[in-house]
Amino acid sequence: METAKPRTLPLSKRGFNFEMIMWIFTRLTALAMYGFILAGLIGGLIVSAQTGANLADILRWAFLPNLNENPLGAYIWITILVKLMVIAFVLIVSGHGVHGVLEILDDYFAGVVARRWFRNGIIAYALVVNAIAIYVIWAS
Amino acid sequence: MGLKRNVGLAVALRYKGKTPFWSYILHRIGGSALFTFFTIYIMALAGVDFASGILGNWLFQIFSLSFGLFHIINGLRITILDLFPNLIRRQREAIWLEWAVFLPLYGFMLFVVFRSAVGG
Repeated sequence: METAKPRTLPLSKRGFNFEMIMWIFTRLTALAMYGFILAGLIGGLIVSAQTGANLADILRWAFLPNLNENPLGAYIWITILVKLMVIAFVLIVSGHGVHGVLEILDDYFAGVVARRWFRNGIIAYALVVNAIAIYVIWAS
Repeated sequence: MGLKRNVGLAVALRYKGKTPFWSYILHRIGGSALFTFFTIYIMALAGVDFASGILGNWLFQIFSLSFGLFHIINGLRITILDLFPNLIRRQREAIWLEWAVFLPLYGFMLFVVFRSAVGG
């Protein structure tokens, strides 16, 4: 049976432009998010082994880290590490999401002026949201 | 100059792309749902009361989690197929595998949210 030939181009023939960089960025940020989720779950499992916590606590510590309730929050280095990890996660989510939304908007709004407004608006949104998130996470 | 495709919603929905096309549409809806969730989550973190109320609403939780979970699992499939292009010829099988992973997780998620909603 004849198999269909894959419609893919090797990297060397795709060119290295802005679109290519953003394509790689989207994939790498997605992989980074899976990595952070895995790290959060492993961290929760380590805590559970030391404290006998249940699955609900593990998931809550992994995805909604509140160091006041987490017994490992007493260690300064863990507090700083978790805050840095959550900030990195938020920045990656924000970058991935903002780029994705812009890509969708670009598909449905074809005008040059509209696209420029959306681009500027989404960059402003990202700056404001990231600033709020970093402040809240670090000050908590 | 901007690209003009002039494809209306009705025409787009009749497009015979089948499962890959519907995955593409659901992925976009899921991305938008997660973007909305992210915005409301940051607002709740910043202390906006109505944002905390929305986050606690079980209908919003089901909406965000349904599309968000699909976006996460479908995104993993896309990333794997992008990084290993030889697998693209098996993309329909990959989509069925994706649904096989999604449905049990989705069922468990619905159970947890409904149980919390009715105070269980």
